[in-house]
This record gives sequence, structure tokens and C-alpha cells, in this order.
Amino acid sequence: MSHWQFTSALGLLALGLANGCGPAPVSPAKPRSITTASGVPMIVVPAGSFQMGSNDHEADERPRHEVRLGMFLMDQFEVTHDLFVKAQLPNPSRWQDDSRKPVERVRWREAKLYCNERSLMEGFTPCYDEAKPGWPCDFTANGYRLPTEAEWEYAARAGSGRLYSFGAEAKLKANGWFADNAGKRTHVVGTRKPNAWGLHDLYGNVSEWCQDVYEPDYYKSSPVQDPLGPAEDGSDAKRVMKGGSWKASASMCRASFRKGQRTGDTDACFFTDYCGFRCVRHVMPDEVKSLLAKAAPEK
Amino acid sequence: MKPIQKFVTAAILCGVMLFQAISLKAGNVREELAGSRFKLVHESYVNNNWELFVTSADGKSSVNLTNTPGVNELYPQASPDGSRICFLVDSGTGRATVRSLWVMNADGTGRKKVVHQARQPCWAPDGETIAFLPQEYPKFNVTDYYTKGISFHHLPSGKTREHVNTKPLHHLYNISYAPNGKWIVATVHAGMGHRHTNLLIEANGSKIIDLGIDGCRPTFSPDGKHIAWGAGDHELAVVPIDIDSDNPKLGKKVFQVFDKQNKIYHVDWSPNGRFLSFSRGPNGKGDLTKPGTYEAACEIVGVHAKGWDIFAVQVAKGGSVTIGHKPVYEWMSLTRNGHSNKESDWFLPPSK
Repeated sequence: MSHWQFTSALGLLALGLANGCGPAPVSPAKPRSITTASGVPMIVVPAGSFQMGSNDHEADERPRHEVRLGMFLMDQFEVTHDLFVKAQLPNPSRWQDDSRKPVERVRWREAKLYCNERSLMEGFTPCYDEAKPGWPCDFTANGYRLPTEAEWEYAARAGSGRLYSFGAEAKLKANGWFADNAGKRTHVVGTRKPNAWGLHDLYGNVSEWCQDVYEPDYYKSSPVQDPLGPAEDGSDAKRVMKGGSWKASASMCRASFRKGQRTGDTDACFFTDYCGFRCVRHVMPDEVKSLLAKAAPEK
Repeated sequence: MKPIQKFVTAAILCGVMLFQAISLKAGNVREELAGSRFKLVHESYVNNNWELFVTSADGKSSVNLTNTPGVNELYPQASPDGSRICFLVDSGTGRATVRSLWVMNADGTGRKKVVHQARQPCWAPDGETIAFLPQEYPKFNVTDYYTKGISFHHLPSGKTREHVNTKPLHHLYNISYAPNGKWIVATVHAGMGHRHTNLLIEANGSKIIDLGIDGCRPTFSPDGKHIAWGAGDHELAVVPIDIDSDNPKLGKKVFQVFDKQNKIYHVDWSPNGRFLSFSRGPNGKGDLTKPGTYEAACEIVGVHAKGWDIFAVQVAKGGSVTIGHKPVYEWMSLTRNGHSNKESDWFLPPSK
């Protein structure tokens, strides 16, 4: 067994333990990264639990409550122009000067369509049923989908209970593009520091669509295990956006900040130039083991 | 006659004259259109299928021109002489859908496919050439600006050619030819360095002029002296333009249509330039239980628009009109069944 295989095995043991045996958040010493069949880097987000929300800020962030989540993969970066075009989708972005920038002005449905296109490109079962009104999500499918709000916040916190995973607001300029440093525009993904799990741009650049219906009081009744958001009622309900953007204040970039955003699905032209997204994919420990085995050896 | 009787008589006469004046004005739209030979061709969704209908200018008669269950016809455009109609046909489903350009006679005979994978056509003034927007990628997407370049199909020769400056033309939609053949006007979204605007594109050259107006779907008046477009979801507007200039500029708005509640889209000019038609209906994102339709904003081509109908307004007098409000003589509905009636195009059929 080589050194990296031994290290991977230890990591997997930790992940497996966390997935099946305990709620404790796992902060791997080194982020576990894989590259998908279509060349997209993703981070293995370990199973665990965390305290979601905040009792000290906006009313819709209350109450702070425990959430437990299974393991999943999350895109290391926001979905870029390059990736959108690779899926043969019309790039709706306002800023088209660099294809490594995150797509914005993306409607909620277009984000879901991208998830399905990537699933098909990589031979997975799409999560969204495009034949049914509202494109319902099959959370058991092995394809790509938008993160739930809980998955997003868990990944953003990366084991930290603070406002930002990196600590004080003063460090935000080094960790994200927001109103104070972005110069009123988006930036190439991955040009700010990653969080402890290796995920970039969760704070700022573009706000990110989540799967959940936005309901201000949801945290009062949210389940502890794998919350999926309020029930769908078939209407064009607002959806949760997280993370703040190039035009957001530092407070709007907090891990627990949540915004109810109109989907844009009924607009022929959607001009909201901070709406972007990233994908997640549900995985089991055996698949992670296989994916990590294919990954490049660590140095 | 006593003074009081004179006063009463005068008051009655004034009342009668005022009533007659209002009545005469109230009949303007309907009466003038009823006396015209104009027709409108438009798309409707009936019996689980997109069809093209021809409706009389007063809305009193409507005929299913295509009547092809299982074939979805969309986006009709009448030729300048009113003898032919080009339109789109969607075949297949989902991302495997193919949208193609067809032509037929104005009576529905002589259907012929002319271009595979084409979008949003318009006739050139010569009546022999159809400009269209090639699809951006092979995989289907219902998005209206999913286009790359402009191409032209010449019907007599059967040949298709690209615009001389096609390479930078990206994410255009809803093209409309100027009557002098010099310009094509179009909306661009997230392309060519623009967030969203309306462009004048030289039909046979490389000049591109940003008209600097928000909104979408501009179209030239028959005499080329005005452009009408959707200035917003709830507003249509008309401005003057000098298309013979090498650097045309827009004047101030001379006519506006408002609807505070419903969306109003797809504006088109009557052949005499006195009226505008448009589609009107509630906001929505389509209905996936309807075969051959897609889930997106209901005003987009191929998306079912529940409750939408075709309306007409008198543009000649200028000013503004608010749909749904009195006075009703300024506007009228040409269809009333709400069967996703969209994309109307006026024409004057050839004399028999």
C-alpha cells in the first residue's frame, strides 16, 4: 500500500464512521477532492451534524438548530460559463469577458436543467423530471442537483460555528468577492481562499440557488435529519439563495444568511445579475472510496 | 318656446350630440377593421396541438389553417404580398426537438420544409427571401435567444447563405426587416457585449447600432417610419425612426399601450399602419401537461400561454391606451377563447 493509499484509507475510515456512526462534524486535515467524468472538480463533504441558522441576526435565521446530513459531493467552484456552454446551454450572464467566471442571471429552472445535462453527460440518472410540472426532484437519483439549504450552509461552515468559516468579518476580503472588494462585477472562480474543506466562493461572487422553497419560519419546524425544505405546493414559490454576491454586504455573505429569491421562471428575460449556483450529488461511502482511488495521489 | 323649454331642448340636443360623438368614436376600431380585408395569422393551442389560425381583422371569423393533429406549427409570418406564410414546425420532444422553417401558401396549401433547425423567421422586402436565426447548439432549448448568427434562405433558388457579418451575431431574437431592406432590427440578450438591448443590424453590411432601448421584440411599421416593441411586460411603445439614414436614431415615444395586470407581447402592425395587434394574458410558465409545449415564460415561442388572446389597438391617433379600461373604443379583442393565441401577423390576402 502506497503512502497516499494509506492516507486515503484513513480518510475514508473517518468518513465512513462519520456517515454511519455519529453526528460529529468532520474536518478532514486535507480536503478530499475528486474530478468528475466531465472534468469538474468536486469536494467530498463528510457526513456530520452542525448548528444551522443564527439566533443573533435576521428573524428568518431563527432558531439556531441542529441538522444532521449524510455524505455528498459538492462542486469545488461555482458553475462557470465554460461549464454552461459545455452542456450546450445558452449563457445568460451579464459579464461575458472571461469564461472562467460564474454564470449569473440564471433562472432556477435553468440551474436545474444544467444539473440534468451534466448528469446525462456523465451517465447518471437525472434528478429533475422535466416531463412533470415544476420538474420535481428525485433525491434518490444518483445525478446532480442543487444543494438543499442545509447542505449549502453545512458546506459553507466547513466545521466552523462562526459567522464565516474563516472567522472574523475582517477576513472576508481574502475569502470572497463582495461589495467592498468586487468592483461591482463577478470574478473568475477560485481566486479567493477556499474554506477548510476546499470549497471556493461560497462567500460572495454570485449568490447560489438552493433546492428549498423559501419560507421565513421553516426553521421552527425543520427536521433534524436531511431537511429538504418546506413542502412543494406547485406554485412558483421563492427559493432559497445563499452566500451573498459581488453586490452584497458582508452581513449578507454570512453562512446563515438566507434570501427568498423569485425563480425568474416566468420571466422571458431574467436580469438578476447575481444569481448563480453549484451542484451537489448524493454518494455512498463505497462510491467515494472508488472515486478517491481514481483521484491523483496526494503529495 | 319658453326659456326653460329652450334650455331643456338645448340640453337634450347637446346630450344627443355628445352621445353620437362617443358612439361614433366607440365604433372606430371595430368598424374600421370590420370594413377591411386584413387578416391575422397567429398560433393557437387546440386539441393538444399547436395550429395556425387565420382570423379576420374584426375577430368575427377564424379558420384553422393547418389542422394537423400531431404536428406543431408556430410563429407564422406573412409575406409582404400576403400570398405566402412562413412558419416554424417543432418535431420530436424534449432536448431532441427539432425546430424547422416551413413555407406554405396563404390558404394553407403547398406546405414545404425549407430549413432544418431555424428560429424566428421574417420576410425580406423582396418577398423571395426569408431571414432566420440559426440555433446556437444542436441540442434543443426553448430559450428565445438560443441563436447564433443570421442566415437567409432564397426561396426561388433554394439556397441558404449566412449574413455577411454573421460571426459576431450572437443571442439575437425576434428579427424584423426594414421595408427598405437596409436594416434588420432585433433584440439581443447576453450576447455581443450587451446585457440586453435592441439592435439595428445592417442587412448586407457589418454596421450594428445599439438603439439603446430596453424591452424586446421590435418591429418596423409598414412605411418604415416607426418601430413598435414591447418596452416591458406591461407596455408596448412606438417611436419614430429614419431608416434611410446611415445612422438612424429613435425619436420620443408617440404611442403606448399599457396593461397593469396582464402581460402584453408580440406586437405587429396592420398593413395600413393604423393598428397594432398584440397578445395579452396572465403571467405563467407554461403547462407541461400540454404535449408539444415547454416549461418557461409563457410568452416564449412553444410555451403554452393559458388564457392568452389577440388584441388590436388603434395607433394612428397617438397618445396611450390602457387595456382593460374604458374607453373601450380604443381597443378590442380579436380572439376570446384563451387558447394560447400568440404571435399574430397581419396581412392583406391577394385579391382573387
